[in-house]
Amino acid sequence: MPMVLLNCDKDIPEREKHIYLKVDGEDTRDFLPISNAPTIPGTLSERGCAFCGAKLVIGGVLKDTIQMVHGPIGCAYDTWHTKRYPSDNGHFQMKYVWSTDMKESHIVFGGDKRLEKAIHEAFDEMPHIKRMIVYTTCPTALIGDDVKAVVKRVMEARPDTDIFTCECPGFAGVSQSKGHHVLNIGWVNEKVGTVEPEVTSPYTINFIGDYNIQGDTQLLQQYWDKLGIQVIAHFTGNANYDDLRAMHRAQLNVVNCARSAGYIANELKKRYGIPRLDIDSWGFNYMAEGIRKVCAFFGIEEKGEALIAEEYAKWKPQLDWYKERLKGTKMAIWTGGPRLWHWTKSVEDDLGVQVVAMSSKFGHQEDFEKVIARGQSGTYYVDDGNELEFFEIIDLVKPDVIFTGPRVGELVKKLHIPYVNGHAYHNGPYMGFEGFVNLARDMYNAVHNPLLKLAATDIRGETTTRFLEAAE
Amino acid sequence: MSAEQIDQLYNFCQERYLWQFFSRSWDRQENLDGIFAVAAALFAGEEVKRDTPMEKLFYADAKIMVADFQERFPWIAACKPEEIRSLLSGVKDRLTEIAITKSLNGELTHSLY
Amino acid sequence: MGCEVISKERVGVINPMYDCQPAGAQYAGIGVKDCIPLVHGGQGCTMFVRLLFAQHFKENFDIASTSLHEDSAVFGGHQRIIDGVLTLARRYPELRVIPLITTCSTEIIGDDIEGNIGKANAALKKEFPGRKIHVVPVHTPSFKASQVGGYAECMQAIIKTICDHKVAPTGKLNVFPGWVNPGDVVLLKHYFKEMGVDATIFMDTEDFDSPMLPDKSIHTHGRTTVEDIKHASGAVASLALAKYEGGSSADYLKSEFEVPSHIVSTPYGIANTDAMLRKVSEITGKPIPDSLVKERGIALDALQDLAHMFFADKKVALFGHPDLVIGLAEFCLEVEMKPVLMLLGDDNSRYKKDPRILALKDKCNWDMEVVCNADLWELEKRALDKDYGIDLIMGHSKGRYVAIDANIPMVRVGFPTFDRAGLYRHPTMGYRGAMLLGETIANTLFTHMEYTKDREWLLNTW
Repeated sequence: MPMVLLNCDKDIPEREKHIYLKVDGEDTRDFLPISNAPTIPGTLSERGCAFCGAKLVIGGVLKDTIQMVHGPIGCAYDTWHTKRYPSDNGHFQMKYVWSTDMKESHIVFGGDKRLEKAIHEAFDEMPHIKRMIVYTTCPTALIGDDVKAVVKRVMEARPDTDIFTCECPGFAGVSQSKGHHVLNIGWVNEKVGTVEPEVTSPYTINFIGDYNIQGDTQLLQQYWDKLGIQVIAHFTGNANYDDLRAMHRAQLNVVNCARSAGYIANELKKRYGIPRLDIDSWGFNYMAEGIRKVCAFFGIEEKGEALIAEEYAKWKPQLDWYKERLKGTKMAIWTGGPRLWHWTKSVEDDLGVQVVAMSSKFGHQEDFEKVIARGQSGTYYVDDGNELEFFEIIDLVKPDVIFTGPRVGELVKKLHIPYVNGHAYHNGPYMGFEGFVNLARDMYNAVHNPLLKLAATDIRGETTTRFLEAAE
Repeated sequence: MSAEQIDQLYNFCQERYLWQFFSRSWDRQENLDGIFAVAAALFAGEEVKRDTPMEKLFYADAKIMVADFQERFPWIAACKPEEIRSLLSGVKDRLTEIAITKSLNGELTHSLY
Repeated sequence: MGCEVISKERVGVINPMYDCQPAGAQYAGIGVKDCIPLVHGGQGCTMFVRLLFAQHFKENFDIASTSLHEDSAVFGGHQRIIDGVLTLARRYPELRVIPLITTCSTEIIGDDIEGNIGKANAALKKEFPGRKIHVVPVHTPSFKASQVGGYAECMQAIIKTICDHKVAPTGKLNVFPGWVNPGDVVLLKHYFKEMGVDATIFMDTEDFDSPMLPDKSIHTHGRTTVEDIKHASGAVASLALAKYEGGSSADYLKSEFEVPSHIVSTPYGIANTDAMLRKVSEITGKPIPDSLVKERGIALDALQDLAHMFFADKKVALFGHPDLVIGLAEFCLEVEMKPVLMLLGDDNSRYKKDPRILALKDKCNWDMEVVCNADLWELEKRALDKDYGIDLIMGHSKGRYVAIDANIPMVRVGFPTFDRAGLYRHPTMGYRGAMLLGETIANTLFTHMEYTKDREWLLNTW
């Protein structure tokens, strides 16, 4: 009975197909949760929409690009100030969002003209910016605005600009995953191959599926610099729009987030013959392996070993200090999908932490194959988990710390469980060697927060034990 | 060489390598074929071609796998060449089964990415 | 010299000040006890709004989605409404209210909300014969109004649906504070207690600031009950403190149940608070007690130390909800600051005729702009303009980078204020709110003086 029907799900029994409890002797040939499937209405699912998958996760990271959201104001408002992806140019991408602010008359008579006007205005207001992505939303897709025709007209009128159209209404697909797909495929269809990069190294890669959360991209860039490897395009952390138009010129695609960006890596392999190398950028052991593979590809193994040795010397003692103190900590991961399989084994190997429950908002079955292969027995693997399920699973596995988003973090705080931001991090970056020490530090500080002990204390009784504790 | 030794290597591969989990069955098959062929050559001390991008990729993945096997499973050093060949082929068969032929992943055969 | 009331000329928006209607509706909905709003639309419409509330209050609020997918966009989302309502009812046995909040997509598709609620009600009655769940139709297409209008719309829809008949006189006062913080609700309750007035706050959000308890119980939810709402029709009067966020509900109770409606200036600043308390006294016949005269005096005593020395002639830019911005402008005048720029973030045509704005216009003997349908790009352009000379920005956290990049001190006020700790806990309304606001302004200016070494020595002896 490894697929689990939780008590809270007795009225939505189809949830049994989405929750797996790993048992010794079984594997993914026997059981694999259903995923990327429609959400049950009214369950308090954690999922977002295709629009946010395209705009907030991928496109909005670009540091030189106007993000024009063609729709009512909320879609723009909501995907602004909700991410921590800085850039080296003053964080243009975090400071601004653009909307056509659709009103009822545009719904009735069409929003094409308004879009065209808003695009011109946006370029006029910020004349130094020449790149734009236009996103459709639920209403503009439903009324059938011909966005591509508008964009074509504007580009003819403004030959120094380039605009990409991303058709990603929120109702498309079942989660943000659909938006990742639409942006990936649209970009490779329309934009890759339209700019030739300046190649400065015999070794060139694209680094795909890393969004510079708290500086991840910039941290890894130090490694590429030391190795003499030129990154043609970061997809899309700290990246310029035109970098991504030149992706066809890299010799190798190094993929971190296979869920949000595996599509473009696959297409680049199919169309341009660029091999795809998947790595894990979180964790010492994994990061070293990734560097070794990239260097083996280029035949620069000695450089890789030197870098790894240098980084280990610098950071491993700190990691070990935390490992000593985190050993046996029970961790839950409730994030989007890939971090489940990126993290479950790296925290175990590098930090001695046991991952006891994991929930993915938008992972596909591929993600569950990975995480079940890597994760432990006795651990829950949940697709599209909802709030009551979280409560029940917390009761079952009693995690010491949960890596999740801030809202769920506020919820579990009341249960005296500390959270660490599993999406945007507490104090990152978390990638690479230095980054994993940051993760370990944040986890350590969360688990050892003295307030948790105080919160559990009822001042109406048992004063003697309190004094004893104080005397310890 | 025993089933238990294949088990050890198979379990290690399952929890370690992302190349078995690519998006479609043909990608997975391509990786398994390419990486295990190079791994066999590396164990045999043969020259490995590294001319095309895909050859370089399989070399990189196989090289790390061979090093991992040698480091974590020291008994492998005592294996004879034919034992290693059948060991690798046993591991590959089992990975092929879990990742491709008996995978429950409904997306493996979609014609598009 | 003088005040100009204009509208943003661009059609597009760069950096919006408000979220859309369904977001505001969700905020009104979570103020009700045993209530989970069900948003009929894409999942992002709920997920991000829940995140926004979590950012501001550092709390989780339960809001559900019908999870509109592509098939529903083509064939209609009827079944998802019924399924959503029943799933909530089955899994949350305490649930008594479900505001069914529409969005742009479901309004365009044209799902028959009332018809589907009828079907859902029949299904609920069959499955839960002894239990009444109020499913409230809330029409909030995102392409109309903004979060401000959405808040008012949901408030009125909840009252319309649940308060369905005239009850016996309760002797209570209905109070519609508008979209305010728990700190404001606590302050208002304190005033009514001091005056001996039995008031019901719509919505009572006091517990949006909720504790970590030894027994791990969770109390983060609204406190306004179904009974409170039902009894609104028997109140002695309704007092709306925000014309654009609750005024319509007071008017509805007047037209439907003849509950006298009083819409007062939002009690930001001393004089507005005076007027509110006088109005309460006039409605209820209860005198204003000494204790409040003392609180008023303490606030005045504090502000008196600040106004003509530090605040006088400071040029202030204000943005946020309309009732807040207007109230803050009035407060600025009380402490001798000059509101030079007021930004109102949606296209409501009533702002230009608002008597409070007209009164400001009359008083204004300096250059002042009121920009309607404004975005924060309007603020940024003026903030970077040295001739415009803004000394202080007051508004919510979405404007933080304008202040940071223009190096202008900024006081966070309104919603959301996620980049400062604990602001939701403190009142902005009332005497105490005015005092706290004045002191926050002062301390912000002081820190800025020190940071920029601008006459920081002034404070050597203050």
